[in-house]
Order: sequence, then structure tokens, then C-alpha cells
Amino acid sequence: MSMILSSLILVPLIGAIIALFMGGSREAYSKYVAIGFSAITLIIATLLMLGIFGDFADLGESFVWIDTSAFIMNYALSVDGLSILMVFLTALLCLLVNVFSLDEHRENNNYFYALIMAMEVGLMGVYMAADYFLFYIMWEVTLIPMYFMISWYGGPRRHYSAIKFFIYTHVASLVMLIGIFAMGYESVAAGGVVDFSFEAIKNGIGAVAVETQSLIFALLFFGFMVKMPSVPFHTWLPDAHTEAPTEGSVLLAGVMLKMGSYGIIRICIEALPEAAAYWQWVIIAIALVSIIYGAYGCIAQTDLKKMVAFSSISHMGMVMLGIGCLSDAGITFAVFQMFAHGLITAMLFMVCGMTGHKVGTREIPLLGGLAGKMPIYATFMMIAFMASLGLPGLVGFWGEFPVIMAFYEFILDNDVIWMLLFCMLSLMLTAGYYLWAMQRTLFGPETKKIDLSKAHDVGHYEFAVLLVLAILVALFGVWPDGALQFIDDYVDLLAFTGVI
Amino acid sequence: MIAEFTWLIPFIPMMCFLMIGIFGRKTPEKGGYIAIAGALLSFLIALAISIEYLGSDEFANGIAIESSIRWFEIGDYTLNLGYYVDGLTCVMMLFSSFISTLIFIYSIGYMHDQGERKNRYYAEVSLFLTGMLGLIVSSNFLELFIFWEVMGLCSYLLIGFWSFRHDNGDEASANAASAAKKAFLVTRMGDVCLMGGLFIFLNLFHSLDYSAMFESVEAVAAANPGLFTLALCLMFGGVIGKSAQFPLHDWLPDAMAGPTTVSSLIHAATMVKAGVYLVARGFPLYVQDVNVMLFVAIIGGITAFIAATMALNNMNIKKVLAYSTISQLGYMILSLGAGGYLWALGYEELGALGFFAGCFHMMNHAFFKALLFMGSGSVIHGCGTEDMRLMGGLFKKMKITATTMLFGCLAIAGIPIFSGFWSKDLVIDTAMNAFNNGADGAAIWFLILWLLAVITAFMTAFYMFRMWFMTFMGEPRENAQHCHGESPKTMTTPLIILAGFALVSGLFMFFGLTDMLAFEGEAIDGVEHGIELFTNPFTYMTIILAILGIGIAYMMYVKKTMDPGKFNKNGESWLYIALTKRWWFPDLYNQISWKLGYGVAKGVNYIDRQIVDGTVNGLSSAVVGGGDVMSKVQTGHVQDYSSVVLFGVSVLSVLILVTFALLGGF
Repeated sequence: MSMILSSLILVPLIGAIIALFMGGSREAYSKYVAIGFSAITLIIATLLMLGIFGDFADLGESFVWIDTSAFIMNYALSVDGLSILMVFLTALLCLLVNVFSLDEHRENNNYFYALIMAMEVGLMGVYMAADYFLFYIMWEVTLIPMYFMISWYGGPRRHYSAIKFFIYTHVASLVMLIGIFAMGYESVAAGGVVDFSFEAIKNGIGAVAVETQSLIFALLFFGFMVKMPSVPFHTWLPDAHTEAPTEGSVLLAGVMLKMGSYGIIRICIEALPEAAAYWQWVIIAIALVSIIYGAYGCIAQTDLKKMVAFSSISHMGMVMLGIGCLSDAGITFAVFQMFAHGLITAMLFMVCGMTGHKVGTREIPLLGGLAGKMPIYATFMMIAFMASLGLPGLVGFWGEFPVIMAFYEFILDNDVIWMLLFCMLSLMLTAGYYLWAMQRTLFGPETKKIDLSKAHDVGHYEFAVLLVLAILVALFGVWPDGALQFIDDYVDLLAFTGVI
Repeated sequence: MIAEFTWLIPFIPMMCFLMIGIFGRKTPEKGGYIAIAGALLSFLIALAISIEYLGSDEFANGIAIESSIRWFEIGDYTLNLGYYVDGLTCVMMLFSSFISTLIFIYSIGYMHDQGERKNRYYAEVSLFLTGMLGLIVSSNFLELFIFWEVMGLCSYLLIGFWSFRHDNGDEASANAASAAKKAFLVTRMGDVCLMGGLFIFLNLFHSLDYSAMFESVEAVAAANPGLFTLALCLMFGGVIGKSAQFPLHDWLPDAMAGPTTVSSLIHAATMVKAGVYLVARGFPLYVQDVNVMLFVAIIGGITAFIAATMALNNMNIKKVLAYSTISQLGYMILSLGAGGYLWALGYEELGALGFFAGCFHMMNHAFFKALLFMGSGSVIHGCGTEDMRLMGGLFKKMKITATTMLFGCLAIAGIPIFSGFWSKDLVIDTAMNAFNNGADGAAIWFLILWLLAVITAFMTAFYMFRMWFMTFMGEPRENAQHCHGESPKTMTTPLIILAGFALVSGLFMFFGLTDMLAFEGEAIDGVEHGIELFTNPFTYMTIILAILGIGIAYMMYVKKTMDPGKFNKNGESWLYIALTKRWWFPDLYNQISWKLGYGVAKGVNYIDRQIVDGTVNGLSSAVVGGGDVMSKVQTGHVQDYSSVVLFGVSVLSVLILVTFALLGGF
């Protein structure tokens, strides 16, 4: 059996362990270890995506891990069109984050890089797991490094934010765990052996009453929606982002939030399609509220990073909306929006994080006229903002337009066409807060409220990283098929198996 | 087949944008020559394609040349990328690329003192041109929309060109920044509507390709009249935003904060013309619904009138021109609306005349408005102000600028032979036709619109010559005295070329332009309609009104035998104040965006902090018991962390119990 998929977990794991023990005099070299191992991971992930190892769907690994008389847990990994993009995104962002951090100096570098690599392990595990237990364990694995990342390397209120992040998402994952148990035990006849692999449960759960399925769906969905996050369970996110270091924010928003939407598609939709249809209106309602509420939240923020955090709530709401349509187009472009948002939001958080480092504050009312002082920084900020507000030609547009198109078909079928107004309002608001923020930070007279004499433009490493992201944002903007070809395969399969 | 290379037309400026962006700094003029070469090359290719198309069988049969490739799918719908060449495309791409080339040449002189910034300027204008040319040659509405938005971005960047480190100080930077944002957001409002229209169309037609949609439009419109009408209105919302129609017109005067060359680009060759183009392109769809066409005409007529009123007392030379643009755009929309109305009622020839008049006026306007803006740029360049009260008597110092601008003024005022006369009178004619043939009830609207159009023609002549006289005649005032003479050749040459077009472009209708701007093969006879204008008593009436307007302006601002203060009570009359306040539109926008945007956002934020987050924090303290858990855990003591775990476990147990009880597990 090939070990390609396992290597995507093992390589960062080895990197994390080596970096962890590089204290003292070797500390300065820990960054190279992190970059090296994350680069290898990215190469493997890219080759995997390009099909160099053969069709990635055939590379699944599975063997029994724990076998008791009552249940079986497997170490099972598999990759399909849905997960491959997330795997690639994780590998890409981890490497970019490592490179990005080179321009900044901090104490205990080795722990910092070990945490990033540990996060990569968890994320890879979540996106490749084909067993509920492995999925849950990996889910929790991502939580711990992020907690330490915030509470060790964060801003002034880091302890509050870290613990809030931890409790909030931990409670949610416990609820999810109950859902997983319920799913496992419901899917076999009384007294049977529960096999926690995705395959086994999917086969068994179909026979369960729809009411039971709906309840399980609700438990799982709650766990995932907190992670995404959706209103009203979103308040951990702005706090976590404000305090997290830039690198942490990038991973948190770029790939960790997608665990929630990934879970919804992979588990809630794939295994419990009937329950999904039952809850459809609830999903749509939550999505719409998140979109509008998040957008309004953005307008009121004065901290750039907090504004971007709220925009994540709004944009992940768009993912939820696509999923809620339960249609071919809706799910396809919800996944595309996950990918697009991962790229864009990485740029957004890097740019906003840089504002704090280079100018000394991220408070919008204190800023102004930065474009004259830092033109390259201003250019990247503009690209990121424009991509995020859905400018056609950049990747964000294809996460937005088709999702709303799918939603339009849904509301047309249900004769509530006025609901299109919500989407139009959200598009307006999104343009509004970004443009207003740009006007106040980049343009106008140069601010006199803070000392700009030490402000300097982007560093070499930061420039390289932002350039790579900007190119990808433009590339997938004009060539969405590059990502869609994978998603299409997956969604075709969903349609074939009658899920949607 | 040169037409196969149509994609090069937007692609070349795109490459110029990238080249200037990457290494333009190292080239002479910071990329200016690359931009000119790109625009010129695009023009030449457009010319070659037009010549080929006009000689082809397709043109003779009224068919478009088109080709497209699959891009990707949204669900069941395939989206394509391609080009679509017909007569309208040819006219549009020719005048857009030609005028842009002239504007870029002019920029070499106008922007010469901008140093490093020139690099950014030339990169952005090249992208702007990409947007416009791409929009023109697109083969479907989604592709059009993408370029439409690219143009929106470029206008944002260029209007805000001086939004930081403005030469005139901080206030000017802040102004430019605010104007750029306003332009983007107001047009965005229209764009969002347009997007809504596209959703509906994509769902109705299963495609956004022009050819596919135009083919099946009658069946689809008949099958879903309600949705179809809604989609048309939403699509027209995009036009209202982009072409600065009432009530979203107010961004255009503010957009004057950008360099004058940019204004010229936005008003003449690109941007605002895109909206009119969208109506013309979507004409086969629009004519399916007579009520929508009436609505379009009404919006156009109101816009033409309202904008002209605001130009009457403005003291800023560029703002007068900005209002005149809005007003002329109103004419174009009115003409398309009235023409479509007639077509929808079955008067095909009169309908085609309206269609022709609208597009024809768009082309003529492009020439003379580019001329007027660049002329005003030359004046501003010479005396360093935009305030006409500080100018005067510049004729002696800037003979070329003054003469060429006079041509432009005569053209826009509608004096015979000059281009504006032909198209404007055809527009007014169309409104009259619609009144004569319209259905009961609706026809009266067209009488009102006709009246508005005629009054607008009078006002146009007045304010344009008011501008010309204030600038070039009379005694030199403050800044005019320091004027250092005529502008360099790079600036005057484009002016002279455009002045030539302002004189003759109206005559194109006698030489085959009517065939190019035929709608659904219904070409009107240009010669016949051109001559007919002189047999129509109303034509003489508008000419007399225009001369009267010029005369009044002459009496007021040259002879000084009439005192403008008498009419406006020295600026105290309510009308005068209303005009200066732009009929309170800016205040209205501010109120709406402030209340609906920031006000609601404040409320949402309060609820978020106090109620949503407050509940979470309160809940966690309640479960752990006593005190604020968050402040406790910050101490880092082990027992506090354990309280967190305890919290988790207790929640977990409760949930397990509840779940299994519900599942009937016990």
C-alpha cells in the first residue's frame, strides 16, 4: 500500500518534532527546518494534485487501529476532489506562512515553528481522514497548537482570546463527538460491532429513521457551524484574530475555518442527505444571517484585523449558502469559495498584520495616507480587498456569483424571489466596508496621529509571499476551471449517488 | 480572416498594462509610449477588422461574426469566452481606441510634471482601455460584466489618482479619496442590480451568449413575462449606475477630482459609454417589453434635463462639462428608450431611427466631449485653476485651444453642420415620433420628454457658451494673467484632430454609418433622414433656441448688458441654491449611506458585543460558578484550567444524556 497520503501527515510531524527540540543555540535554524519540511509537504501535495502518483482517488490507505469487541476504529486516509483542494491549500499556506515569518523576529522561534508544523499535521489529518475517530482526533489536534499560538505569541489580551477560542470550539467539538457516537451506534443493529469508518457508517445510516438522522445532523452541524463560524456562534473569531499573531490568523482563517464547511459537506451532506433536506431552510437562514450580519459587523469595526475577521464570517456564510442550496452548482461553488477565501483571506490577514508591525497600530481612525508612504503594501492591500469584495477577474468573484446563482434557482423554485435582495445588499455592504477602509487607511492626507517616520514598506520575504498569493488569486480568477475540475468530479459523484 | 484576432484588441492593452507595471519605470516617459503604442495597435487591428467585416457577406446579411470557447460551467449552464463583431461593435471599438490613443498622446504633455507617478497613470489607463475594449468585443453578458467591473476598478484608481500626496495639499487628497470611493460605490449599486439581472437571464435562457439569447428571446419573454421584465429593469439599473443616469448620477461631477485626461477618458471613450452600449447591445431584449422602454426613456429625459440645470450656474470648468456629459447621456438613453418603444409597438423604421440616433449621438459625443475635456485640460494646464471666475480673456493667449473648444461648443450646442446637430435633432425627433405614434396614456409622456429635451437643448447652448465666454473672452482675471501661453504640441495636436471630427463626424450618417448602426437589419436611409431634418419645423425651432441660448450667454458674459445676478437674486434665490446644492442629491446619498450603513452597523456591533458575546461570557461564568471565568483563567493557575475542563465535561454529560434520551437509547 502506498504511503503517499501518510507522508503528508508524517513529514510535517517530523518537522514539528525536530523544530521543537531545536532550542538554545540552534534556535535560529528552526525556521529553515520548518520551511524545508513544509516545502516537501507542498511538493508532495502538488504532485498528488497533478496526478503524478496516479489517480489520487486510488491512493486511499486503511487499516484497523483499535479493535474491541464493541467497535472498530481505523487509521484510514483518502483523498478526493473535495479534499485535494484543501490539502493543497493547507500545504501552500503553511509554507507561505513560514516564509512570511522570516521578516519578523521573535523569541522562542523553535516553538513557534513547531506549532505551525503541528497545525499542519492536524489540518492534513482532518482533510484526509476517512474514519470518524481519526477525523475527531485530528480535529482536536489542530485546536491545541492554535491555542498555544495565540496565548504565547498573541497580543495584549491573548490569554482571554486563547481560552475563549479553546472553550468555545472545544465545546462545539464535544457536541460533534456526541453526534459521531450517535451516528455510529445508530448505524448498526443493536449489539453489532460499530465500524467508525466513513464508508461503513454511510452504508448503515441510510436505514435509520429520518427523525433520528435529523437529530444527529443537528449535533454535527452545530459542531461544524461554530468552527466556520456562523452567527450567532461566531464571537470567538474576532477576538482570536485580533490577538493571534499574523501567521496564526492566516492559518486560522485560511484553512482552519474551512474544517467546519468541509465537515458539513463531507459528513452532514454526504452521509445524511435526507436530514440535510429537512434542515435546508435552517441552513439557508443561518447563512443569510451570517452574510449580512458579518458585513454589517465589518462596517462598525475600527481594527483592520477585526474587520477582516468579520468579513470571514460573511464570506463563510456564502459557503454555507452554497451548501444550503443542496444543488450541483451550489455545492461546487461553495467548495470553490472555500478555496478562494483561503487564498484571499491569507493575503488579507498578512496585509493587516503588517499594518500593525510596520505602522504600530491597526486602528483605522489613526491611519491615513499610507499609500504615499508604503506603495507596495498599498498595492497588495488593494488587490486583497478587491479580490475579497468579488471583483470579476479575481478568484473571489467565482465564489460569489455562482453561489448566488444557485441560491437564485433555489428561491425561484420556492417562490421567494425577493430573497435575492439579501444577496444584493451583502454585495453592496462588502464593497462599502472595504472601500471605506481603504479610503481611511491608504488614501487622504498622511496621518499625523501616529509617528510614520519608522514605517517601512514590505520586506523581501513578505513581498515574495504576497506576490505568490496575488498571482494565484489572479490565475484562478481567469481560470477557475483549474480548481473546478477537481470539485466537479466530486460533485458528479454526489449527484450520481443521489445525495443532491 | 483578421476577425479571428479580435481577442487581440483588449489583449494588447492588457499586455501594455503588465509591461508598464513591471518595467515601465525604466522606459522613457515611464511607460507612456508603451501605452500609446498599445492603444494605436488596438485601433489599427480594430480598423482592419472593421474593414474586413464591412466588406463581408455577413455584414450584407446583417449577421454578426462570433466565436467562443467553453470557459467553465455553473451547474447546467456553460459559460463561454469569445468575441462578437457586428456594426455596433465596429463603431464602438473604432472610436474608443482612436480617442484613447489621442488622449494618451495628450497625456504626455499634460502629465509631464508628474514624475514617478506617470508609471502608475499609464498602467492604469491601459487597463482602463482593456476594460472598455473587452466589454465591446465580448460575446456574452457575463464577459461584458467582467470587463464592466474592471473598468469600475480603473475608474476608482484613476479618479483617486491624487488621493494621496496631492500637489494642492491634504484637503485635495481627501477629496479625491472620497470621490473615488463614491464613484465606485454608486456604480457598484448599479452593478449589483445588473448582476441580479444576469442571474435571471442565465436561468431563463440557460446561456448568456448574445446569439443564443437573441435567437430565443421572443419565446422566453412570452413564457416568463414577469421575470423577464424584472431582469430588464435590473439590467437597466446597471446602466443607471454606469452611465450616471438619474438618480445615481451624482458620482460623475465628483469624479472630476481625477486628472483631466482621466475625465476625458471616462466621459468620451470609455466608462459612461458602457452603459449606453449595454442598452444598445441588449436592444433585442429590451424591445420585447414596451413598458420597460418607456421607463428607460423617462429616466433618460429626466437625466438630460436635471443635469443641464445643474450646469447652468457652476463655476468649475470641469464640472460644467461633467453635467453636460450626464445631460447628453440622458439624450442617448432617451433616444434608445423612445426608439425601442416604437419598435415594440411595431413601428420598425421609426424604432430603428431611435436606435441609430442614440448610438450616433454616443459616437459624436465621444468626439466632441473628448475635445472639450482636453481643451479644458489645456486651459487648466495653462492657468493652474479650474475656477472660471479666475479665467477670462484667454483667447489671445491660447488661440488653438480656444478655437478647437469653440468647435466643441458649437457641436454640443447643436449648430448645423457640426456633429451634435445631426444626432441631437434625430433624438428629439424620435421623442416626437413616439408621441405621435404612442399608445394612449403613454404618448403624453413622450410629449413631456420631448419638451424636456428641447429645453435641455436650449440650456446646453447657454451653459456651454457661458463656459466658453467666461474662459476665453472678456478681461483676463487673476490666474488668466499668469497664463504662460499655449500648451505644447502633444496637447494641441489631438485637439485639432478632434476639432475636425467635431465638425464632420455628423456627416458620417450620409456615408454608410446608418448601415453599421442598423438594428436587426433595419437600416434607415441616412440621406433621406438627414434632408428630412430640414423640412421639419421643429428642427428650426431647436436651432433658434440654441442660438438664443448662445445669445443670452453672450449678453451676460461678454457684453454684460444682462446681469445674471438679476435672475438669481445675486445667488439668493431658492433655485440658485438648489442648483448649487445639486438638488440635494449628495446630502440624500450621505444620509442614506450613513443611516443604512453605519447606523445599522453600529447597532449590529452593539448587539454583537453586549448580547451575543455577553450571553456566551455570562453562560460560561455561570457554569463554572462565580466570578468571571475569563479573568480567572488569565492567572494561569492550574485549578483555573481545571475549571475549564470541568465546564467541558459537564456540558458534555448533559448533552450525552439529552441525546440518548431523544434517540431512545436508554
